[in-house]
Amino acid sequence: MAEYKMESLKTFNYDRPVIEKGYANQTLCIDISDGVISIKPVTEKMKNVFIGGKGFDLWLLWNAVNSTTKWNDPENAICIASGPMGGTPVYPGSGKSIVTTISPLTGSVIDSNVGGYFGPYLKFSGFDALEVTGKTSKDVVIFIDGIDEKVQIFKASGLPDDSYTLSAILTERFAKGKPRNISVVSTGPGAKNTRMGCLNFTWYDLKRKRARYKQAGRGGIGGVFADKGIKAIVARWDTVTSKTNNPANANTLKEVGRKHSREVVELDPKQNQMAQIGTTHLVPIMNDFDLLPTHNFQYGQHSEADNIGQEVFRRIFDPGYDGCWIGCTLACSHGVKDFVPLTGPYKGIKVFVDGPEYETIAGCGSNLGIFDPHTIIEMNFYCDTYGLDTISVGTSTAFAMECFEMGLINETHTHGMNLSFGNRSAALEVVHQMARGEGFGQIIGRGVREMKTIFSRDYGADPDLMQDIGMEAKGLEFSEYMTKESLAQQGGYGLALKGPQHDEAWLIFLDMVHNFMPTFEQKAEALHWFPMFRTWFGLCGLCKLPWNDVVPEDNKDTQEPAKVMKHVEWYADYYTSVTGRQTTADGLIRMSEAVYNFQRIFNLKMGFGQREHDNIPYRAVGPVKTVEYESRAERYDKQLVEKHNVDITGKTTEEKIALLREFREKLYEKLKDAVYKRRGWTNNGIPTVETVKRLGIDFPEVLELLRAHGVES
Amino acid sequence: MIKVNGKKHSWYEGMTIKDLLKDVNNSHLYAVVRINEKHISRPYFEKTLVPDNSEVFLIPMIAGG
Repeated sequence: MAEYKMESLKTFNYDRPVIEKGYANQTLCIDISDGVISIKPVTEKMKNVFIGGKGFDLWLLWNAVNSTTKWNDPENAICIASGPMGGTPVYPGSGKSIVTTISPLTGSVIDSNVGGYFGPYLKFSGFDALEVTGKTSKDVVIFIDGIDEKVQIFKASGLPDDSYTLSAILTERFAKGKPRNISVVSTGPGAKNTRMGCLNFTWYDLKRKRARYKQAGRGGIGGVFADKGIKAIVARWDTVTSKTNNPANANTLKEVGRKHSREVVELDPKQNQMAQIGTTHLVPIMNDFDLLPTHNFQYGQHSEADNIGQEVFRRIFDPGYDGCWIGCTLACSHGVKDFVPLTGPYKGIKVFVDGPEYETIAGCGSNLGIFDPHTIIEMNFYCDTYGLDTISVGTSTAFAMECFEMGLINETHTHGMNLSFGNRSAALEVVHQMARGEGFGQIIGRGVREMKTIFSRDYGADPDLMQDIGMEAKGLEFSEYMTKESLAQQGGYGLALKGPQHDEAWLIFLDMVHNFMPTFEQKAEALHWFPMFRTWFGLCGLCKLPWNDVVPEDNKDTQEPAKVMKHVEWYADYYTSVTGRQTTADGLIRMSEAVYNFQRIFNLKMGFGQREHDNIPYRAVGPVKTVEYESRAERYDKQLVEKHNVDITGKTTEEKIALLREFREKLYEKLKDAVYKRRGWTNNGIPTVETVKRLGIDFPEVLELLRAHGVES
Repeated sequence: MIKVNGKKHSWYEGMTIKDLLKDVNNSHLYAVVRINEKHISRPYFEKTLVPDNSEVFLIPMIAGG
């Protein structure tokens, strides 16, 4: 164990409030520039409009920053919250936290949800949300001790840089013999040296006697954390029961929690088996439907995909309970025991690896042309401990690899590294370089958007071609699904508030496989309802997996099977039982609409949030290169002839690509029109005055912002 | 004899997944089937044989990440 010192800089004693119906009714604010710690009340209006979780985060962040705030300005805040139901142990998936900040990748608001114990422990310690502002040149550790009712700031020296060992040391340091009482938030050296840093949130694994972690991965929040000089934030809380949230109706909560938990226990083994294999089942399924990204999203299928699918990981995962929150029956956070890395600072040392999940397998595997589970696990391990987002690392490296193979960059630029697809040692070296802030890895670590600028400006690469193949939108790298054949999912990514992340809408199967939404109006309706319902989980401290990854056996016979309405109604009962506020399935959507529109307007405040910002690279829409077209020529030819009435006789592949592009890009613009209309936005993608009034977010600052953009009643 | 979602179901030589789904209501909603521990997707339903004594699970709509 490393030798380290921690010197107390500030101690703030407080009286812990009683949790009332899921709320502590106050938030904790820490300015680390001068060590000022304060408490702000949570008003009834805040609860009515913003509900909790991401809603509270956004409100705190909105008030902390101005329209010119950059990610590394002291006033930028990192906000962390759970939600009114967060911390309930009797309902599956009730331990989530949401983190928001101004992103180094996008320049706008980013939100990222994560498991682990921190959010619930923060709330039970007396705070619905945490807001950290300021910057310090010291390495500081913030300790929120809900048991002893104090918040401390320590100056730390000698602590390790990497999250894996740091999490273990701080868990032991603050546990007082009860490590389950501790949750640590930290990042690693990769966050300091790239724009794609993540945060690791720990939970304590009693069986394996170790701190494990989940990641708030997207948008470079870890970079903001590191830039502020925060080494870690630690929360300490005691035993959690169904009464800790002091729910309005404990009996109803127990009843609805028991129903959903029992269903998960009975049906998950018959359905996706997530308690055994996590999300790895998606690998072969996505591959079968041509949806698994390979070689920088050029193709959706590869003959070696089974090497990195659920059948392999079923054997590799260490069996046992893997719930990232207490009492969750889905328990999908699997890991690999006694893994021995072949490279890097942990070379030859046995470690426990949390993961991999589907996104990491696709991002650091198939999308790089790598079909070796060992390499993927090693990349997973190092990305986590270095504090790097596996999705942005994967998608950015895939872009660099394609540029390398196309000759847009060469070994002069990569410092001699052969970045061909499938080069496993190069992929790992890129990750190590990101952590060290060295070499070409440091360039990749700036993300796809900035790489396009650098490659064009410094290396003379074709900017138009890179715009087509660089898989970012709004500055955020795409997560790992192919969208070429699903217009709805193109919208799911392109119209997502923070950038192309699947947590807002995942419509590929409903659209492409089941053809549930053939018309624009149906697609627009789906791109309203699904993002709103998924947003609701982030307001309440919940995980979405129990909603639709385990479904009732009679669900397929219901009117709208994709919505799994039986569960939606259970969630309405769950909300009411904890908060005492009566609601219905429609009421949940209404709650999200207010926060969702507020976040869209927040983007507007930061200089984004208009129609042009919802554009996506053409690689997400259709085939860019002749090899892509010709690999699926039968499909594309058929569409040109049957759907677009084109006579393709005598046409070259290049001509057919151009025609298909014209049709598909028009469809995407038409989709924007339909979705904006459904959401109550102008044709420029801005919420109307009528919409913000209807949702109760017509604050003077909001109306002024709309007016400045020509939106008036 | 095979089991489908835990219930006994008759089996015959040469039965494919596509054949099996003819006996299921709203079978168009199933895009993936698991036979024992192996997932089979719709593009392969027609050519994948269901082995005797196997346990078949009809996987509800895939919900993604």
